[in-house]
Amino acid sequence: MTDLSTQDAPFAGSGSSLMRRRNRRQVMLQGLGLAAISFAALMLFVLIASLVSTGYKAFIQTHITVEVFVDPEEISVEKLPRGGFRDVLLASLQKEFPDVEGRAELRSLQNIFSNGAQFQLRDMVSADQSLIGQTVTLRAPVSDPFDQLAKGLVKRETPEQLRRVSDREIDWFDTLDAAGKISQPVNWGLITNADSRFPELAGLKGALVGSFWALLVCFLISFPLGIGAAIYLEEFAPKNRWSDLIEVNINNLAAVPSVVFGLLALAVFIGWFGMPRSAPIVGGMTLALMTMPTIIIATRAALKAVPPSIREAALGVGASRHQVVFGHVLPLAMPGILTGTIIGLAQALGETAPLLLIGMNAFITSAPTSPFDSATALPTQIFIWADSPERGFVSRTSAAILVLLTFLITMNAVAIYLRSKFERKW
Amino acid sequence: MYDTPTLERTVDSNTVKFSARDVHVFYGETEAIKGVDIDILDNTVTAFIGPSGCGKSTFLRCLNRMNDTIDICRVTGKILLDGADIYDKHIDPVQLRAKVGMVFQKPNPFPKSIYDNVAYGPRIHGLARTKADLDVIVEKSLRRAALWTEAKDRLNEPGTGLSGGQQQRLCIARAVATAPEVLLMDEPCSALDPIATAQVEELIDELRQEYSVVIVTHSMQQAARVSQKTAFFHLGDLVEFGETGQIFTNPRDPRTESYITGRIG
Amino acid sequence: MTDQQHIVSSFDRDLETIQAQIMKMGGMVERAIADAARSLESRDEELADEVRGRDKAIDALEEQINAEAARVLALRSPTASDLRLVLSVIKISASLERIGDYAKNIAKRTSVLSTMAPVNGSPAALRRMAREVEEMLKDVLDAYIQRDAELAYEVINRDQDVDQMYNAIFREFLTFMMEDPRNITPCMHLHFIAKNTERMGDLVTSIAEQVVYLVLGHMPDEPRPKGDKTSSDPSIAPA
Repeated sequence: MTDLSTQDAPFAGSGSSLMRRRNRRQVMLQGLGLAAISFAALMLFVLIASLVSTGYKAFIQTHITVEVFVDPEEISVEKLPRGGFRDVLLASLQKEFPDVEGRAELRSLQNIFSNGAQFQLRDMVSADQSLIGQTVTLRAPVSDPFDQLAKGLVKRETPEQLRRVSDREIDWFDTLDAAGKISQPVNWGLITNADSRFPELAGLKGALVGSFWALLVCFLISFPLGIGAAIYLEEFAPKNRWSDLIEVNINNLAAVPSVVFGLLALAVFIGWFGMPRSAPIVGGMTLALMTMPTIIIATRAALKAVPPSIREAALGVGASRHQVVFGHVLPLAMPGILTGTIIGLAQALGETAPLLLIGMNAFITSAPTSPFDSATALPTQIFIWADSPERGFVSRTSAAILVLLTFLITMNAVAIYLRSKFERKW
Repeated sequence: MYDTPTLERTVDSNTVKFSARDVHVFYGETEAIKGVDIDILDNTVTAFIGPSGCGKSTFLRCLNRMNDTIDICRVTGKILLDGADIYDKHIDPVQLRAKVGMVFQKPNPFPKSIYDNVAYGPRIHGLARTKADLDVIVEKSLRRAALWTEAKDRLNEPGTGLSGGQQQRLCIARAVATAPEVLLMDEPCSALDPIATAQVEELIDELRQEYSVVIVTHSMQQAARVSQKTAFFHLGDLVEFGETGQIFTNPRDPRTESYITGRIG
Repeated sequence: MTDQQHIVSSFDRDLETIQAQIMKMGGMVERAIADAARSLESRDEELADEVRGRDKAIDALEEQINAEAARVLALRSPTASDLRLVLSVIKISASLERIGDYAKNIAKRTSVLSTMAPVNGSPAALRRMAREVEEMLKDVLDAYIQRDAELAYEVINRDQDVDQMYNAIFREFLTFMMEDPRNITPCMHLHFIAKNTERMGDLVTSIAEQVVYLVLGHMPDEPRPKGDKTSSDPSIAPA
């Protein structure tokens, strides 16, 4: 009982079994937490690493540079924009490889160019008709098999019959490469081109613009409606069974699977109202349905977080109820509301299922100019590309996912910035 | 001026400002105030004391109808301000609150500049036609709240940047700016340090010249220091209402005695 | 008054401590009165010296009580009955100290008187008067500790008896002095003793008034009964 050692040092109880057990538990708990976080970080790293490792190749594109004589016999001012652009291109290659003959051989040679090269030349000549009869330097993308070859995705060791490029074609390519005519610049086409069947030409412009229109529509509908609903419910609605019911339903609505919203939009917007299929306006309205509960919940939380002392202060000097809400509570809640809205919009940006149901996975080769044009969105574009058989779409899918993730991270970063900047101003 | 007995020095008005008759307050089914009759005088500091939950704050909030904002709260009986029933249908609670200003427990300036804090009330009530008028009101209010010398060079800085005591005086200036007749204070010093408390107490004594002040306080010493009349509430009843000196030297009701001497009761 | 305990129990202990000191002081003063009267009757110079010596302890106790009371005022901020208790303690201790001083004065005169020829019968009357005052003091202390305003009022009324005894003794001494001028010196001393005892009665009365204030919160309403007419009634004066 009166042990001398414990009397001398009253806190020397660490030797007791109780203390040891407590310390062990503490260490164990910390270890578990650390392990969980490490696992999550590892998974995130694996995901990003795999996306980057397959996707980075889509951010560069193999190009071929050729001197093209714009033959006035093939191309004339009168026939523009028609003309033998294909043949002119082939002729420029034939100069390099004069020994190539025969239709099949020539077609193979022609296939080094992407299908888009002729249109690129056409656009150049259409823009400046004085080029007819001149020799111009054209840098055009090579077709997908050669792009894959250049990026090492088609391997030379593979037996010829299993490869998409023959030994002969590899020889041509190597010759061109040796002559310094092959280059690999940054692939701006990924952003500036719309969708295409040819991977080397396919870009995200249509999807980006489509997503932009859809999000704009979504924001314009869900933000005012969501905030209005939240303000009414939080500040003005009487607290009774009805408002409880509405509250439960809003919370449930936030948990409804997105595909159900897609079905609803298909039936109501397209079926009943006869709105256009595949249009961002319908997509935006569908996404607005999904985002609204998120915004309502976030707004109510933000309104609740405004200290009652501010309300009392305003009421105390004789402000009316709506003056209190719109003059004091709402401005103070705005950062929280914006944060919730941005997170809701980020969710909407990544949403796929409802857009698939309303047909926003159509193949559309031009960017929409209004929310009523047919379009795709970023996630549905990823879906389409992931479904495409061409090898070139594999890396493009990853690249598109990276683009989507960049947008999501940016939006979340803005939300976090807003929150930390305006946090607790009172 | 020294020939009046100290015990009577303080009450120097007989004009009744607030007159409450048989006031009951219900929160849903529970009765928080059980029939209170009280006459609150003009130019007098009246203190409400009592243990937590005794209804003193609830009754205070009846006086400017702050209880209206609570859905389940119901008030019966009559409360007359200058003879007019404030619970009459024709009385607008918003106008009433401009006439009966309120200062709260925690200093709660708006997250705006000092100037805007004070100018807010006059603006929404249209008390100033021009910017110059408003400037005058702001200066007068800040002077009255003994904050002018400290705040005059930083009118555009946020009110939340002031110290706790200054914030509370800013809140008083804000309440004074709407030209009220009565100031209600709900434990105005409970979040302040002793020096800031003393400054606010001094201010309350000055405000008595122009307003009827009603103060709810947990500190009996504060009630004793600042008030001329003290009302002791217990379990929703107004147990005793009288001159402060009498309440603190010779209370009539044993419940008051138990409470102010710090006995279990 | 309430017999409930304070929530802060050390406050109760503080108040009990100063009240116990008052009771102790009261006991010392009672004993001083009794011993002074006894020494006068039995011409006991030794006892008289002892009474004079013990007065220092009474003075010291008064100082201690005042210091305690000041501490309670500063640290506890007493209100209502607690405030009245502390105020009355200060006043009662002052009264007790004065009574102690009178007792000491009686003892001092006793020492002088023991060297002179005794005056017939007078010490016994003085002794009765002192006993009456002593009884009153005992009762008023009881009234104080039991918070008994009735008893305090009774004590106030009994002061008249003391005053009347003093009147009687006053006349008696006048007669003695007129009879024989040699009696003048001892009679003057004896008269001062009687006057001191009468003053003691007044001080006990003021203690009783403090008890009334402590219990009821106000001073006694009716004017204090006056039995000492020697200062106002010319008929008592020698012709």
